[in-house]
Amino acid sequence: MDELKKIAPELSKIKKENPFRVPENYFEDFSARLHERLEAEKAGVHRNQNRIIQFLKPAIGLAAGFALIFTLSYWPLRIFTPNEQAKNLSTGNSESEMLYASWVEGIDENSFYAMLDNPNGSVNFTDDDLADFVNTNSSEYDIYSETEN
Amino acid sequence: MDNSDLDLIAGLKNEKTRDLAFNSLVKKYQERLFWHIRKIVMDHDDADDVMQNTFIKVWRSVDKFREESSLYTWLYRIATNESLTFINSNKRRSLIPMNDTSEFLMNNLASDAYFEGDKIQKRLQEAILKLPEKQRIVFNLKYFEEMKYEAMSQVLDTSVGALKASYHHAAKKVEEYLKSRD
Repeated sequence: MDELKKIAPELSKIKKENPFRVPENYFEDFSARLHERLEAEKAGVHRNQNRIIQFLKPAIGLAAGFALIFTLSYWPLRIFTPNEQAKNLSTGNSESEMLYASWVEGIDENSFYAMLDNPNGSVNFTDDDLADFVNTNSSEYDIYSETEN
Repeated sequence: MDNSDLDLIAGLKNEKTRDLAFNSLVKKYQERLFWHIRKIVMDHDDADDVMQNTFIKVWRSVDKFREESSLYTWLYRIATNESLTFINSNKRRSLIPMNDTSEFLMNNLASDAYFEGDKIQKRLQEAILKLPEKQRIVFNLKYFEEMKYEAMSQVLDTSVGALKASYHHAAKKVEEYLKSRD
């Protein structure tokens, strides 16, 4: 204060008071108004979160739609065409199995019977080879009817 | 930091007691902060807006308060920054040159319905409004609020020496203005 008197004597003579006033009950009402704004602020945060969901909604809907279509089309197929499905599943044979199958299928019927008639021929068949041939070229019904005769 | 402020901070950082603690903080500091803001923006309605913005910012950033400074200086710092941001954005909107703040604030003072000081008080306010922005804030904090330089240093992020010099220059300029209009 003494320092102020030295550097600003006129200023130090002025009574130090607040020349401004506020409307009646301003400070009493301020908290309530602030509270309202805070609530709006909190709601705004939620709105922003909802906005993200709104933004992602079409993409989520599209993905859900595809999932539904896939389920609805795949399920009945699986239920009503089990053989087709099984066939599809059995295509996963190994390479050696496929080579063996093509060799067995490659033998024509005439040469097979000619070989059976000539047991001293140069080609030797094992019992397994024969069983494979029969299994590949004849159904269970054919085998049954042949053995009955 | 006094114990009640420590309790307030603990309450604010706890999700369950946050609303109650925030209410207490507003009640405790609203008047001091309002007068600080009011002397920067020079209009009641603007001061009301800025004070709301200040408390909203406090609410949002209370988790970031590191307790390195006191709660009181932290609040003053936010209030000061919000006031200056408000003035600058208002100036931009009104196309007022950035260095012409005093003219803009002088108009606010002239049309202020809530100013009830006498002639001398009005002249003092005019003299203060002629000061550069930072000197004006330093002068108001020291002259009217009698804030200690150490606390002011935390509020304005300026060294105590620079603040003392700033107040000295401000007081001299105010004195000259008062003498020149006698």
